[in-house]
Amino acid sequence: MKEVLIIRSVSFQQLDLNLAAIKSQYPEWRLSVLTHEHGLLLAQKYQAIDRVYVYPFKEGFSYRRPVKELREKVFDTVIIPVANLSGAGFLNVLFFSLTLKCKSRIICNLVSELRPVGPWQIICHSVINKVWSLIALLLTLILAIPVLLLLPFGLKRIEKTR
Amino acid sequence: MNYPLVSIVTICWNRKAEIRESLSRIREIDYPNLEVIVVDNASADGTPEVIEAEFFEVKLIKMFKNIGIEAYNIGFKNAKGEYIVILDDDSFPAKDSITKMVDKFSNDTKLGVVAFDVRNFYNYDEVKKVEADEADLVKKETAAVAENYLMAFNGAGAGVRRELLEKVGFYPEEFFLYWNEQDTAFRILDQGYRVQFFSDVVAYHKYSPKNRSSWRAPFYYTRNSFWLIWKNYPLLLALKLTIRQIYYCLYYSLEQKTFIYLKAMGAAFAGLSRLQGRRKPVANNIACNLRIPFNSPFTFFH
Repeated sequence: MKEVLIIRSVSFQQLDLNLAAIKSQYPEWRLSVLTHEHGLLLAQKYQAIDRVYVYPFKEGFSYRRPVKELREKVFDTVIIPVANLSGAGFLNVLFFSLTLKCKSRIICNLVSELRPVGPWQIICHSVINKVWSLIALLLTLILAIPVLLLLPFGLKRIEKTR
Repeated sequence: MNYPLVSIVTICWNRKAEIRESLSRIREIDYPNLEVIVVDNASADGTPEVIEAEFFEVKLIKMFKNIGIEAYNIGFKNAKGEYIVILDDDSFPAKDSITKMVDKFSNDTKLGVVAFDVRNFYNYDEVKKVEADEADLVKKETAAVAENYLMAFNGAGAGVRRELLEKVGFYPEEFFLYWNEQDTAFRILDQGYRVQFFSDVVAYHKYSPKNRSSWRAPFYYTRNSFWLIWKNYPLLLALKLTIRQIYYCLYYSLEQKTFIYLKAMGAAFAGLSRLQGRRKPVANNIACNLRIPFNSPFTFFH
């Protein structure tokens, strides 16, 4: 049986909605979810989900934090739900999906539209964003100087006195 | 079983249909000692009239303008229950959730918040069926915990001890919208209590894609992320997280071609004085272990 892995990158409330669309798109496929540890019991409640994998980190999904348990596993499709229409702000999850072996990757947006995304698209997106990242980093370094000098006084000033 | 008074507190603002649905569902709850308080944030769509006409058992408090989450605090201060259940105007607990919540509080004196498993209302029938099936099973562990980190709760469904909520100063009024739960969670954890999700304590929420189309979510989430850091984190961590948050604001502004994050960051710094007397750094272990997804404000736009 073919297998889909859904990365739980959005709230369960959104996933509740997305899952209906995913099920209708892949009616006979085996569905699995990858979620952070606190979501394990909550994800296990889905009748449509066969297996729940745990993302064993506190932090968000990241290419630098792959899941050892899934290193050798091959999925037919990996689905990346996003909490908006375009997928903006979810590059970390898209990039993380590259650590998973699969034949295709699908973005599922807020209104449950499914669209494929290839590894090269993710890499190209990532390269463009590296440029934004560098600019942001430079500007952050400039802003960091006054912030580091002044913010401690500001924080001291707003401290609760008793 | 003992049935201590439980106060359900919710606020609303121009959500007549939603609050009507929620209050109707609340009537179906199988707990005998309930108090329901609705604080109306000066709705202009006839919401208060509907509540007065159709829900005589509800204690309605009317505000003269929309004061955001401060309205919750008015409701909390008027609540007389031993426990308070916090809801959104478009959410409601499952029939048996209050009983289960009280049971969990009674059996664990250091449990400060029972975080409900908030599910989508539009899947109500399906989730309800799962609940019914589960009820037939033998009692099993339902606390959804993580070994290496702590969680906050979702304001669309959470139970909290009233005295504890009062002790930590209720919701942070200055936040107006969003991330008030995380701020409250910091202070509850710092009092030595736990915040815990339970898979068998369910609430339903009308989570709709339409709710997230405005500028409000990215603005208030971003501004409040700075305030959350400044109010609760020890100095070094607060500085580190502030710098990272500045980076996020710049990066996501470029990525998403918007000024909303920069505007929110500016509002956070400009409004620092509004946090006067509100900074109380929590213990290091709480600061390091409470899971706050600081990049989530940047996922609501576009």
